[in-house]
Amino acid sequence: MSPLAVAGPRLAALLLGAASVAWAAAPLKNGGLAPALLTVSIVVVAAGALRLALVDIPQPDDYFFQPGYVRAWLVVAGLLRTWAWEETAVVAILWLEVQHPARPWHTAALGAGVAAYLLVTHIAESGADPAQVLRRQAKILAVGACLLALGAGFAMLPAATPGAGAALLRVLAAAAVVLAVALVLPA
Amino acid sequence: MPTLMRNERGRLSIRLAHHRAKSAKSANPASSADLGASIEIKSEDVAVTWRPSRHARRLLTLAAAALLLAVITRRPELAGVAGPPLLLLGAARVSPRGRQDRLGIRVGLTATRVYEGEPAALDVTVASDSHDARWSLEPGKCVEPTSAPSVNGQAARFTFTVDRWGKRKLGTVTLRLHDRWRLTEGQVALALPAIDCYPSPAVQRTQVVLSKLPNRLGEHRARVPGEGVEFTGVREFVPGDRQRAINWPATTRRGRLQVNTFAAERSQDVVLLVDATSDVGEPGESALDLGLRGAAGAARAYLAGRDRVGVITYQWGGARWLAPSLGRRQEYKIIDVLIEADTGYTRGAIFSRLPRAALPPGALVVVFSPLLDNRFVETLRDMRERGFSLIVVDVMNAEPPARRAFADSAARRIWRLEQQAIRFSLRELGVPVVTWDGRTPLDIPLAPYTRRPLVTRR
Repeated sequence: MSPLAVAGPRLAALLLGAASVAWAAAPLKNGGLAPALLTVSIVVVAAGALRLALVDIPQPDDYFFQPGYVRAWLVVAGLLRTWAWEETAVVAILWLEVQHPARPWHTAALGAGVAAYLLVTHIAESGADPAQVLRRQAKILAVGACLLALGAGFAMLPAATPGAGAALLRVLAAAAVVLAVALVLPA
Repeated sequence: MPTLMRNERGRLSIRLAHHRAKSAKSANPASSADLGASIEIKSEDVAVTWRPSRHARRLLTLAAAALLLAVITRRPELAGVAGPPLLLLGAARVSPRGRQDRLGIRVGLTATRVYEGEPAALDVTVASDSHDARWSLEPGKCVEPTSAPSVNGQAARFTFTVDRWGKRKLGTVTLRLHDRWRLTEGQVALALPAIDCYPSPAVQRTQVVLSKLPNRLGEHRARVPGEGVEFTGVREFVPGDRQRAINWPATTRRGRLQVNTFAAERSQDVVLLVDATSDVGEPGESALDLGLRGAAGAARAYLAGRDRVGVITYQWGGARWLAPSLGRRQEYKIIDVLIEADTGYTRGAIFSRLPRAALPPGALVVVFSPLLDNRFVETLRDMRERGFSLIVVDVMNAEPPARRAFADSAARRIWRLEQQAIRFSLRELGVPVVTWDGRTPLDIPLAPYTRRPLVTRR
């Protein structure tokens, strides 16, 4: 495997993660949890990219006799390998998104970006052929994009009555449609 | 031991692991195709454990977080974000076809015995093409991969070198299988067998030859007349001499029949004595490493000269030995004994005399030792007093650490004096001691003793 073929998906994962964070953070907000969530998102996306970059470096069996700085580095590398950075990044990015007022199409685009980030991260860490993976999942991904648009469309429908109950009903209706499609279509 | 394998014509041939000198380490590594076909050493039907992949767990996190936030914040568009991951998870859930609980895996090696630094390849194949397979190699101790540690595909080849002699476990090879959605993964870990790594033999082209050789046909020129090819002189013809030996020019000059005389050609018994009681120095360049490499090189050189060569490794658990014999096979037998060398301490294992069967009378004993153990030095003195011709190759290449404290520097000086005294006492007994650093050919330190026969004194 050529170095470019190895580095390409890793770089793409970093760029997609960074783009998702930037997309969710824009426009920047100063109050509330937004700054902290932005910091966490940046850190975890960077750590995930670092994990992918270091995945080929073997971990020694025993490092008891190594110098202090080597042991410290190995502890950091071990932490990079074990922590679920991408899962943390997903939660932090979505949470960062809900810090802003409702913006359906913006959120739908973010959903597509985050899904792409996870898929490319998997391709980068497993060394799978991107063309083959995307070809196999093309139909499902197309239907998923339709569901994203459906969710955004639900959000743009005017509420039947003012109040929290109607908003919750819209959410439940959208979730029910999404779940139904997810359960029925693959069969 | 040689390895049996099939050549390109389908005939069985003997593949001998070729010597690769230390200098060749810096050369370009052989490509994996150059290493040839592998021999099957393991073929197993293994159970596969299937579980959700990391990708599936991430998608589940995305879907759960999006649905939860949608309900909490009452935003339907977040429910739409959960759509693509839920679809993928559902697809994987309802179509688990092709997941096999058992898989056939074949493991092959291009060589089961290698020299230090010699490239070899490991071939792994899975008998299933319904999954995306990814192989990864976790190398064992002293095993250095020279190819990518992870390879995709039903079959993979990993190339590696072994850095240090001994019986080395190759490590573990892990096979990861993915379904078409890459949401379920099966994992199989296979422990790889051990490989024998021989010490890289030192370069030695010349041989130390004794002045008194046993009466056995060989290739060394003896001092007595015989049927060799080297001319030694002319003498008068006596009945029984062969007619073809008549020197006609000398006969014409002297008026009486003269015949040429030739030197006899004899072989000798050589015993390589390796001191494995102490192993000091950096791993890979330690005294024992140098001793074994030197002994392997000497075994090769003397066997090439048609001498009978045996080996003794002197260690705490007792001596391991191999009686002198001839031939290529003996070289591999000797190295097999050498790699069993163990510096581990065994309480109560003391012996002052070496096994009699391993030491034929009149044999040349080539000793590889750092001369750190007094009992070993006493054994050498005892052998010398019994009339054996010894030559000691000093493989000590480390010193106690240099520190500033007065006591430490004084101890270091005393240690050096002791070492010099040991070597002096051996020289006084008529045992030559030469120092070898492990980098130069063995011919260089042995040069003063290879130019002329080593005089046997009793």
